Amino acid sequence: MEAKGLFNVARKEFIGHLTSKKFIVILGLFLIISALAMHQGMDYYNNRLENYKEQISQIKDVEGIEPGYMPEKPTIMLVFMFMSSYIMMLGAILAIAMGFDLVSKEKETKSLKSLLSCPVFRDEIINGKALGGTLALVFAMGTALLISLAMLLIFSIVPSMNELATILVFGIVSIVFLLAYFAIALMMSTVSGDSGSALIYTLVIFFILGSLLPLVGPTVAGMVTGEPPERPAFHIQHETDESEGPSIKEVSEEEMQQYQEELRAYWEKRRPITEAFNIISPNMNYQKISFLISNPQIYSAVYEQSSPFTSTGYFTGGGEAPGLQEVLGKVWKNILALIIFSVVFFAIAYVKFMRLDIR
Amino acid sequence: MLFQRKYVLALRRALYKYRYRKRSKGGEQEGEEMIKTENLTKEYNGNKAVDGLNLEIAEGDIFGFLGPNGAGKSTTILMLVGMIEPTEGKCIINEIEVARNPLKVKAIIGYLPEDVGFYGNMTAEQNLDYFARFYAMDANERKKRIEELLELVQLDGVSQKVGGYSRGMNQRLGLAQALLNDPKVLFLDEPTANLDPEGVFQYREQIKQLSDEGKTIFISSHILAEVSKVCNTIGIISKGTLIARGTLEELKNEFGRVGTENLRIIVETIEPLPEIEHEDIISAEYSEAKRKVVIESKSDLRDYISSELFEKGVKVKEMRMEEPTLEDVFLSVYRR
Ligand SMILES: Nc1ncnc2c1ncn2[C@@H]1O[C@H](COP(=O)(O)OP(=O)(O)OP(=O)(O)O)[C@@H](O)[C@H]1O
Ligand SMILES: [Mg+2]
Repeated sequence: MEAKGLFNVARKEFIGHLTSKKFIVILGLFLIISALAMHQGMDYYNNRLENYKEQISQIKDVEGIEPGYMPEKPTIMLVFMFMSSYIMMLGAILAIAMGFDLVSKEKETKSLKSLLSCPVFRDEIINGKALGGTLALVFAMGTALLISLAMLLIFSIVPSMNELATILVFGIVSIVFLLAYFAIALMMSTVSGDSGSALIYTLVIFFILGSLLPLVGPTVAGMVTGEPPERPAFHIQHETDESEGPSIKEVSEEEMQQYQEELRAYWEKRRPITEAFNIISPNMNYQKISFLISNPQIYSAVYEQSSPFTSTGYFTGGGEAPGLQEVLGKVWKNILALIIFSVVFFAIAYVKFMRLDIR
Repeated sequence: MLFQRKYVLALRRALYKYRYRKRSKGGEQEGEEMIKTENLTKEYNGNKAVDGLNLEIAEGDIFGFLGPNGAGKSTTILMLVGMIEPTEGKCIINEIEVARNPLKVKAIIGYLPEDVGFYGNMTAEQNLDYFARFYAMDANERKKRIEELLELVQLDGVSQKVGGYSRGMNQRLGLAQALLNDPKVLFLDEPTANLDPEGVFQYREQIKQLSDEGKTIFISSHILAEVSKVCNTIGIISKGTLIARGTLEELKNEFGRVGTENLRIIVETIEPLPEIEHEDIISAEYSEAKRKVVIESKSDLRDYISSELFEKGVKVKEMRMEEPTLEDVFLSVYRR
């Protein structure tokens, strides 16, 4: 008896989403674009794989190579990284399109009054709407992932168990990201008087969180920390490794080390500021998570070294990618932030809906 | 203006008698009390939309809730059906307090809002099925009930989505949705607002039929004629307070009797009118270059006037007598 109303609402909402024109159109567009993006991603993946194989064979040919440098074995998650940027745009728009009129439209068409004249609790209605929307987003993301898996198989790329698990995690994180925007839209729909302003305000928030914050973060960090330390006068570092040219005399070992210390300190100071801004942007959180899932090695180089570019050159990393668990260990804060986003905005929608004046 | 005040007084007298009669019988009327409000009050930003309303409606009654725009009819109904919470006081339906147990009340009532709305992207059947799922009905029951109701409101065979409905169709669907759970008590907020004459006629038949089934029906309207055709008891609300309450018969009899006390005689002539004098005349208003007069009098003076005019050689174009209608009385009550 208790949950009957909830499931009835969720069922109707779910069917309503799947049969609505805007959902079909945006999802269709999203699927087509992400399929194309995946196609691109697969080319990229194949190239990287070729490179990797070449490098491995070279390393095997050349005896006595330094063990510190190993090429990175590409994962098929690279393919999904190409998808994630479209999820951030079109996916978010889909979630917003689904949520922005859920309550306001019912107020406008007065169907809410008819609905509330039935023996149903208000919380069953708002929870049912959230549940129905979530299921529709799961459906959308599930379809996208199924299509991508099918495409992988068509291009005879067979994911390993570990990769399948990573794809699943990617899917779940994507859904949580979409939920954040769905919750914001639902909240606006409950708070605003009409659907029009609900949409506009949701888009405003979308641009603030998605575009403004990621720009503001580095700017503020730059203002706080000032200019990065001067690099000692020398040109290409790895020349020093190969040839004993006279130019290297200009930079002493200590100078170099000191510079690196300073640079590390600089980045250490800078990171918490940018991170503080990033953690309140669903987009940045999602970007970080999906980037790390698809490029664990580059990620550890970029985000965990003292600076993006160390003295040894591009990036350093082991040949083996860190396991999924290790990756999740690094981004749990971001995943949590995404979840908190959804929960907070949904909670506002809930409280507001419970007190909504029905007239 | 003068004669209107008289009717107001008469109306008050009728009210008093009604109340007195009720008290003398010890409240033991034909049916049990079905709807009751106690000191019901709703405030919006300090303004009282409904102000200390005390209403009692017996089981099986068809109650007409009359009042001008903004009187607080819809607000009262919204509180009665558990849609908004009273600022003060309470509503009791079938001995259940609405604010305490809204779901239990909603299970036994039907409500047609004044501006009823549905999901435009679904058909009438789908809309009703969605709402029906909130009541304890299995799939077969739902299907049967929805078929019956759509036939009743003559929307069967309409495959169009509700978004394309006319306002009248919408309102008829609203009645069907209010009847989904075969309610004991039915609240209809201006049910005929968007109906065509044919629709109004059918609606009246439906109300009679529903009343025969023993339902208590609460109808709000600002149109007296509408209410007087179907209701057997009436309450009048103005500025949030109940200013009159009684059975239709009581109110009618009272006004029917006093109705003969004051008359309006309207005379139009071809030549200018002479001065007409008679002790029963209360006032006379000439217009249209003395070719028209509206006389207010205590008795029917048509014989006297016509012989007067005949003597003076004034040809009569039209002469008619108007008795004040109930409408006039209610208007004056409204404007109090
Ligand atoms: N949300 C609100 N905020 C402020 N005042 C309101 C609100 N809703 C209604 N009112 C006021 O309450 C009063 C009663 O309104 P209500 O809708 O009950 O009138 P009504 O008798 O149903 O009129 P009508 O015949 O026009 O339907 C009105 O004066 C209106 O201005
Ligand atoms: Mg009203």
